[in-house]
Amino acid sequence: MPLLASVIAGGAIITPIVIVLVKSLSTGKLGASVGFTVANYLRVFGDRDILPLLNNSILYAAGSALLGTGLGGLLAWIVARTNTPGKALVELMPLYPILMPPIMKNIAWILLLAPKSGILNNMLQEYFGIEAQIFNAFSMAGMVWVFGLACVPLGYLFLLPVFLSFDPSLEESAYIAGSRPVHTTLRITFPLAVPAFLSALVLNFLRGLRSFETPVLQGTPGNINVFVSRVYDSMALEFNTGLATAYSVVLVVLSVITLFFYIRATRFSERYATITGKGYRVKVLDIGIWKYVTFLAVFVYFLVGIAIPFVVLIVVSMIPYFDYETFMKFPSNMVLSNYTKVMKHPSFITGLYNSLVLSITIALSTVLAGIVMAFTIYRTRTYGAKVFEFIGTLPLAFPPLVLSVGLVIVFLGTPLYNSLWALGLGLFVAYFPYAFRNASGSIVNIHKELDEAAWVHGAKWRHVFFKITLPILKPSVGGALFYIFIEAIRNVDVAVLLTSPGHEYGPVTLFEYFRVGQWAEAAAGGVIYLLILIVAVSVAKFAFNLKFSL
Amino acid sequence: MAILKVQGLIKTFKDVQALDNVSFEFEKGILSFLGPSGCGKTTLLRSIAGLEVPDAGAISIADQVQTSVEDGILVPPYARKIGFVFQNYALWPHMTVYSNVAFGLKLRKLGKEEIKRKVLAALELVGLQGREERYPSQLSGGQQQRVALARSLALEPRLILLDEPLSNLDAKLREEMRVEIRKLIKKVGISALYVTHDQEEAFTISDAVIVMEAGKILQYAAPDDIYNHPAHSFVASFIGHAMLMDARIVTLQGSDCLVTVPEFNGATLVLPAPKQGAAGDACKIVIRTTEIRLSNEKFPEGTDNVLEGLMTSREHRGGLLDHRVQVGSKEIVVTSHKLCPLIRFNGDGGKTFLSIDKSAISIIVDP
Repeated sequence: MPLLASVIAGGAIITPIVIVLVKSLSTGKLGASVGFTVANYLRVFGDRDILPLLNNSILYAAGSALLGTGLGGLLAWIVARTNTPGKALVELMPLYPILMPPIMKNIAWILLLAPKSGILNNMLQEYFGIEAQIFNAFSMAGMVWVFGLACVPLGYLFLLPVFLSFDPSLEESAYIAGSRPVHTTLRITFPLAVPAFLSALVLNFLRGLRSFETPVLQGTPGNINVFVSRVYDSMALEFNTGLATAYSVVLVVLSVITLFFYIRATRFSERYATITGKGYRVKVLDIGIWKYVTFLAVFVYFLVGIAIPFVVLIVVSMIPYFDYETFMKFPSNMVLSNYTKVMKHPSFITGLYNSLVLSITIALSTVLAGIVMAFTIYRTRTYGAKVFEFIGTLPLAFPPLVLSVGLVIVFLGTPLYNSLWALGLGLFVAYFPYAFRNASGSIVNIHKELDEAAWVHGAKWRHVFFKITLPILKPSVGGALFYIFIEAIRNVDVAVLLTSPGHEYGPVTLFEYFRVGQWAEAAAGGVIYLLILIVAVSVAKFAFNLKFSL
Repeated sequence: MAILKVQGLIKTFKDVQALDNVSFEFEKGILSFLGPSGCGKTTLLRSIAGLEVPDAGAISIADQVQTSVEDGILVPPYARKIGFVFQNYALWPHMTVYSNVAFGLKLRKLGKEEIKRKVLAALELVGLQGREERYPSQLSGGQQQRVALARSLALEPRLILLDEPLSNLDAKLREEMRVEIRKLIKKVGISALYVTHDQEEAFTISDAVIVMEAGKILQYAAPDDIYNHPAHSFVASFIGHAMLMDARIVTLQGSDCLVTVPEFNGATLVLPAPKQGAAGDACKIVIRTTEIRLSNEKFPEGTDNVLEGLMTSREHRGGLLDHRVQVGSKEIVVTSHKLCPLIRFNGDGGKTFLSIDKSAISIIVDP
């Protein structure tokens, strides 16, 4: 039984991936594919734009990763190790990415930084008479800025535990050897955080390679293309599956190389392991006058990274339409018409409903399937079960957009194509690895004797699974359900190719609104999602007792 | 010139009194702070290093004030010219053995050649030559320990502080290392402070021992003195290998005194007189059981402190024999070497005589 369930889940995962690889080597457009060809690869690699494309992709991903991880690490150090006033502003950091509604970080920053209509450029002109449009959301710098800020929480979360659980005697022995606090921080504290920093950096780089909204909403209008936006264009505009899959394979290769470096970075950290496991009291450094500098850093990050985007979003959702003058008149021109308009839109209502139902279903099904698969691998003596370990992790190497390219091709011409099943399956494959890795991490940590005691006392696998494994896993199941729900409910990059009229997905609907210029309505929709996310966080906090700080 | 002088040190953590008015002076050599966990010994060591700021009191090293709460003096740890070996060694995992040892030397702005010479000399001293390019995680626990020692010694500190340096090693290595650490420190010729909760370790390694409990110094003396003449009942019980019993002083006769011991059916024992105390005072006596003699026959007339008991069992323990003898309501375990004059053991309850030299008994009259 558990084996059968794993086989079904494994099959669902591996099929779109194989399809992408096969399709990239076949001729023809939409549906009509026959014969084997490398023409798509020749076109991709023969393209004069391939080098700029590679260049843009790497520059964008690396720039964002550096900005985000660096800033996140610095904030983690400030919070954990200094007596900076007001650092509580940053301590809610883990909550911030959870509350960000779909595509809203891009919308907020485009409204702020757009060259002509952007709020900041207009302000510069009005108050300082600067005509030159200094800020440009549709530039590489604009993209790196927006996605870099989105990378901050991960850097913070990776490095905070390092600075908090730091063995203080490593620093104390430096003091005794004659090293002053600044020197000690630079030579001992920061170098010891390097492995965690590298891990976060590589992971953020990978997220940059796979990210969809920023390249499409900010890169494409500014004619800055990366692989993801090329895959999207060749699929959504040209309907050329061969070309889309060929670009996809290049993207997958880049992802796999990055994953390889991620594994290396984790191994590298083993050298840094010395005797640990004691409860340490971490010493907070009195950094004297510098605490005002770090306070400024914390405060500016809070404003720029958290407060301003949310405020802009909420204000824009409550003005009749977006332009600079209307924006500045707020709140005298406050209206709720955007909300009523959006709520009357059938595409939004269906999308909202579908996203709620599907994300709940996906959260439940991935978590259950993940536990069953992990149980099969680690707790039954099924021959060849280790294969599932590979299959379960495989989708991580595939950017979500590429997965949905594969699913589009699989379902093309079948009745499933224009249905929620395709969408549901896409989300399932995309989020399964997170559920699986969470479950296998927890199952490995449960002492095998607990299971064996049940086997010995006559339990069958389902008794062991339902009476022993599942109850013990309960705490981590709550976290995984919540995480996958809030990720799925704002997914754009899997859903964008799999929606169709009548089968909308809320975040994709907002994405379309924004692309056709209905900015205020998109913002109103975003605020509705914000309310849903707030409810979800409250439920998680009180029902599952999840904590949103470290 | 005393290498270390501590006056009136007080330190409170929340509601725990870690140091309760601690004062002492230390001339030179190796001094151990001995006591159970939580007695304040590590806090005392960390205060001397400047890693902990006391609430009151003063510390001087080599007659230079390092900490003085009253005068607002607090020399930072990096300017105290001391060495410190941490319990978990605290080797910097991102640096090689060489860089770990060279770290402090580089900060002193010494020439490259000189640094190299000193690092290699320190590593040779601890027997780790040829391991310079290893990382700490590639070394065994004992080797990491040696690197930590070398790192401290390379700086030629005025005083080296060791915080339970052997507690992470296995028993056999611990015994080897404590002899070696003493040899090493004596060879270098500096003074050392050594924190431990293991009395055997304290006695083998040091020239003097401070026994602490609940933030107070109970006794400060040479190891022999502490063993033979514990000044406090806590010290006696902590040192172990001794029997601690309630007694009452009967009379004082010159340098001797007579006590009665209720647990020995009120038997009277003679032992060296205490410094204070008078007839009728309650006291405690400490009998070192290793110095009790057993015999199947009566001891000659005039032998000190002869008791009569029943041997209930005898157990072999390696090369030793444990005799369990019931005297009054107390069971005494007398351990003897196998080669000692053999005592017959006729099964359960054989009559046995015991004699205890008066020098094997100490008396404690707790204030």
